[in-house]
Amino acid sequence: MLGIFVLAPILMGALTVIFQKKSLTPLIYMFQAAYIAFSFYIFFLVKENGPQVWNVGGYQDGLSMSLYADSLSIFMVLMTAVFYMAFLVFAKNAEYFEAKFQFLYLVLQGLMMGLFLTSDLFNIFIFLEVSTVVVSILIMYNKEKQAIYDGMIYFFVNVIGTSFLLLGIGMLYRTFGLLDIRFLSEAMHLLESPSAVFLPYALMMVTVSLKTAVTPLFSWLPKAHGTPSAPPVVSAVLSGLYIKSGVYLFIRFSQMFLPVIDMHVFFFWIGFLTAVVGFVMALGQHDIKLILAYHTVSQVGLIMMGVNMASEIAFWGAVYHIFSHAIFKSTLFLTAGIIYEEYGTRNVYRIRGLFKRMPWVAVATALAILGITGAPFFNGSISKYMIAHGSHDYGVTLMLNLINLGTSMSFVKYATMLFGPSPKEGKAKTDLWATVAAMAMGFTSLLTGLFAEGLTEFLFNFEVHVVVEEYVQKGFVYVLMLIAGIAFYNGIIKHGGLITRIGHIELTFNGIITSMVGYLIVLIAFLSLVL
Amino acid sequence: MKPLNLITGETVGILLFFIGLYGLMTKKTIVKTIMSMSIMQAGIYLFYITINYSPDTVPPIGQSREAAFADPVPSALMITAIVIGIGVTAIGLTMFMHYKQQHGITHWSRNRNQQGSEH
Repeated sequence: MLGIFVLAPILMGALTVIFQKKSLTPLIYMFQAAYIAFSFYIFFLVKENGPQVWNVGGYQDGLSMSLYADSLSIFMVLMTAVFYMAFLVFAKNAEYFEAKFQFLYLVLQGLMMGLFLTSDLFNIFIFLEVSTVVVSILIMYNKEKQAIYDGMIYFFVNVIGTSFLLLGIGMLYRTFGLLDIRFLSEAMHLLESPSAVFLPYALMMVTVSLKTAVTPLFSWLPKAHGTPSAPPVVSAVLSGLYIKSGVYLFIRFSQMFLPVIDMHVFFFWIGFLTAVVGFVMALGQHDIKLILAYHTVSQVGLIMMGVNMASEIAFWGAVYHIFSHAIFKSTLFLTAGIIYEEYGTRNVYRIRGLFKRMPWVAVATALAILGITGAPFFNGSISKYMIAHGSHDYGVTLMLNLINLGTSMSFVKYATMLFGPSPKEGKAKTDLWATVAAMAMGFTSLLTGLFAEGLTEFLFNFEVHVVVEEYVQKGFVYVLMLIAGIAFYNGIIKHGGLITRIGHIELTFNGIITSMVGYLIVLIAFLSLVL
Repeated sequence: MKPLNLITGETVGILLFFIGLYGLMTKKTIVKTIMSMSIMQAGIYLFYITINYSPDTVPPIGQSREAAFADPVPSALMITAIVIGIGVTAIGLTMFMHYKQQHGITHWSRNRNQQGSEH
């Protein structure tokens, strides 16, 4: 049954390529609607009957390749399916939305579902490798010089990163003779000493950290997600959904190794570093796409912090932040696509008067900005509230507030686009479908904040109660942050200088690979010294 | 242990993996990157096909059972991985060839062109 999730989008994509007809496009929307319905069906099945397993070929569980849906993975599947609909609607009238593009785009959906559902380590390798190929072709879709260079960096870095995973899987197989994540997790108890899995753990974590884009390994992400000429829907799907497959694999792998290796402190600090480095780099950017791309790095760091706090509410807070981030970041990328198309520039200091020029797009952007900065009643505030509840340590609260301050600072810069005089008179003509899709995503950002308590219970079976007084207090903190953000923007950021220079630091290709090896060495050293 | 026993498929495989990695860390030519990548992958294949192997086993083909069967899973995995490896190398070379023919560049550049933000 679960196999349909992977196979159906690929078959649908193949149909579009075989027939090459524009008239086939409505079929894609019908297909996607049916696909969402099917995801809901499986979602309710999991909710009622517990985890579902589907073994390929009907062999015994544990020996065959299997797809496995529990509440976390089916949530990721559901989220991907629903947001894909919005992206497809957004692209409806776009020039690039032709058969070849539709094929790659739908195949990517199937591959992501495979990553979320598979319980077989070798299949994870295959899905990662194939999706790397698909994503790099999507990045360089317009064949512009910069896009090809960025796509090549993305492609080689990720292929090399995935080979680490393959070697790690080989070592695990040598020790256990198993490839299934669930059974490996049970077999971990049989180990006499954890040092037997240090090397495979470190190798696999390098790949996952590369996919998640944590501190030393994020250099490929702004290149890939912020490529100037990549279609906006590609950037949106990469930043909103595809990056989450890395976080998801991180959760799965750490749960698998949990009986013998517990590294949550290490990854908590890595997450914090990532969040800080992400927003510091974002402050120095002019290109709106690059600002958003560096903010993905920052927010993923926040998610990593939540996942590694070793507390249930912070964990589900992080998962809710995966959901929130998918909403507002894809909205921002979609609207950014409309904006630079209209203004002919991506420089954040030259785009002004969005509210006058394109009011609806501006509203969607504003909603998403309020979401990402964690304004009261928006989804970002709820997930950050949950993550903050994971620890009673005062230091952690300070760290979270620092990250929030950084986010506010750079989104104050981003929000200057909304106001000011419009360069041309009158309103710009925007594509109806694109605007509707962006608006829908923007309002989802508000709705998922308003109904967060019910949603977390519905989606994860996790009850969260927002204490009103504390929430009001957070609201005040938010206003203070905003004021501080505006002050910082006018005082420091606008003038560039050092911050711009920091923003333009980047690693060469060899530098990225070297940092990967360095990360591996640090991981192994940490494992053998601390554990 | 005799020194010769150290030279097994596993150790050589891991060694090849890191030799490839060294090439990736130091070489700036894109073609050499692709070659190093292939060396790295060859190391992994060698590692896989020698794990869980003992000399007196037979392939698991047919019904006769004179000796214990060798573990077929790593070889089966590697057939898939080799196919993927060929595909990946071919795609990498295609990208590189297109890039070189269009723009005449054969090395990884030092800095990313920031022209994107300025026009």
